[in-house]
Amino acid sequence: MEFRQSQSAIPSDFVAILRQRGLIRGEWAQSTGSAGSFVETQATTILAFKYGEGVLVAGDRRATAGNIVMYDRADKVIEIDRHSVMAIAGSPAAAWEMARILEHSFQFYRRSQLQEMSVEGKVRALSKLLRDNLGMVIQGVGVVVPLFATYERQSSDPAKVFFYDAMGAQFEAADFAASGSGGPAVRSVLYYENGWGKKLLRERSGDEAITIALRALDTAAEADTATGGVDHHGKIYPIIKVITRDGISTIEHEKISSLYQSDLA
Amino acid sequence: MIDEPYRWVEAIANRREYIETELANGSPTIGISYPEGQLLLTFGRDRRKIFEIYDRIAMGGIGHPGDIERLRMLAIELASTEGFTRSSADVSLRRMATYSFSPTLKQAFEQIYGAPYLARLLFAEIGQSPEEDLFVRLDYDGAMAASAMVGRKRREAFGVIAGTRRSLEQAETFLRSVKAGSLQEALEVAVKAWGIARYTSDEDHHDAPDSAVLHDFLKEQLREYVVEAAILERNGRSNVAFAEVPESEYETALSPYRQ
Repeated sequence: MEFRQSQSAIPSDFVAILRQRGLIRGEWAQSTGSAGSFVETQATTILAFKYGEGVLVAGDRRATAGNIVMYDRADKVIEIDRHSVMAIAGSPAAAWEMARILEHSFQFYRRSQLQEMSVEGKVRALSKLLRDNLGMVIQGVGVVVPLFATYERQSSDPAKVFFYDAMGAQFEAADFAASGSGGPAVRSVLYYENGWGKKLLRERSGDEAITIALRALDTAAEADTATGGVDHHGKIYPIIKVITRDGISTIEHEKISSLYQSDLA
Repeated sequence: MIDEPYRWVEAIANRREYIETELANGSPTIGISYPEGQLLLTFGRDRRKIFEIYDRIAMGGIGHPGDIERLRMLAIELASTEGFTRSSADVSLRRMATYSFSPTLKQAFEQIYGAPYLARLLFAEIGQSPEEDLFVRLDYDGAMAASAMVGRKRREAFGVIAGTRRSLEQAETFLRSVKAGSLQEALEVAVKAWGIARYTSDEDHHDAPDSAVLHDFLKEQLREYVVEAAILERNGRSNVAFAEVPESEYETALSPYRQ
């Protein structure tokens, strides 16, 4: 452990400190090469929507490299702080690193500045990390298209969902967002449920919201090989987290399993 | 001047005397382990004195606000970069204090053309069990005292920083005689320990006050000071153990002195 304080223009910026210490690269990938025949690992499909008690964020478990299933137990829904969750689609190598930087940046900010970073500040921080990743994106590797969901207790509309493009543009979703190769199918399901379902997504209970998330991921997996969906036989279930007033909770597999079964019947 | 050994020793002695005088009036910080966590408590006027450093580490300090701030930022940066590059499990108070803080403080103190850190710090690190809890006191000259360090076996369930050596010893004597079985008990004990340390930092008060005197003393202090208390939770829901103690909780411990 080296004992010195970094001389950053903004002392609350943990990313600048990491850069100064050479712990992360400044500008990602300046080389002029291209991805060529390199087959990158990809993680898909994620979704987030607002429901009665807050926000639900879910992701299937599959990671692929070309037509190979790399991993069937990937965790793409990552807790960043007590009320924020990031879900990742794209390159897990770049995305998990971003999640790690983000988590540490928010904590560092809170500890050093003795206050929470604003939701706007958090959303911007992720946007900036994506922008720094641009060099990689142009070369065709390390593309990340995340979702960011948070619960802002003081706000009159506390549940928030943001989605991004690979260059770091941020968009706030009114009701729901989806990303990854199964994203279009998920969007269709959520749009249908919100518009023609029995109730708006915002009016659904916790159990109803989980069921909708499972239906959406299962639908996406039907036509997209890169989406794992719900593997009831292999007992591999999507990761589902809900953010409410009290913080984040992860839905247990037993609960997902029983809701899925009763929904099918 | 430092060519002559005698002058150097004299300069260091002067510097020590100056810092001790500056710190003598500092408000003590008391740390206590109890089954569910660790408590840090102090009384203050306007600025915060108990801080979160990392997932399982907290800090309190006496001294110049500017120096405490520099050390606090150093601790946060050190712990955060270590936790980022390796894992939060690799951030250890023992390593931070022994390899980083102690040498740095000593060096600043002995380089007599530079400014020393005018600060005395108390760090707490929560363990898996109360036996693994750690309190570390670090002084402006790099001197270090830990509640446990060898073989992770706990010697004492508390840590104290106070303005003077006598007030430190008085508070420690009291803390050795008591045990805290809950947060509420820890708060009660910490308030008393603070009162004893504060009372005996007065040059005219050589001995610990008896309970009636302590009661009146605390009552009087509460008119001037407000309590600041934070805990490290042993088995909280999140990795982050630090939490401020809500006013309702410490007010119960203070109620005897409010009447």
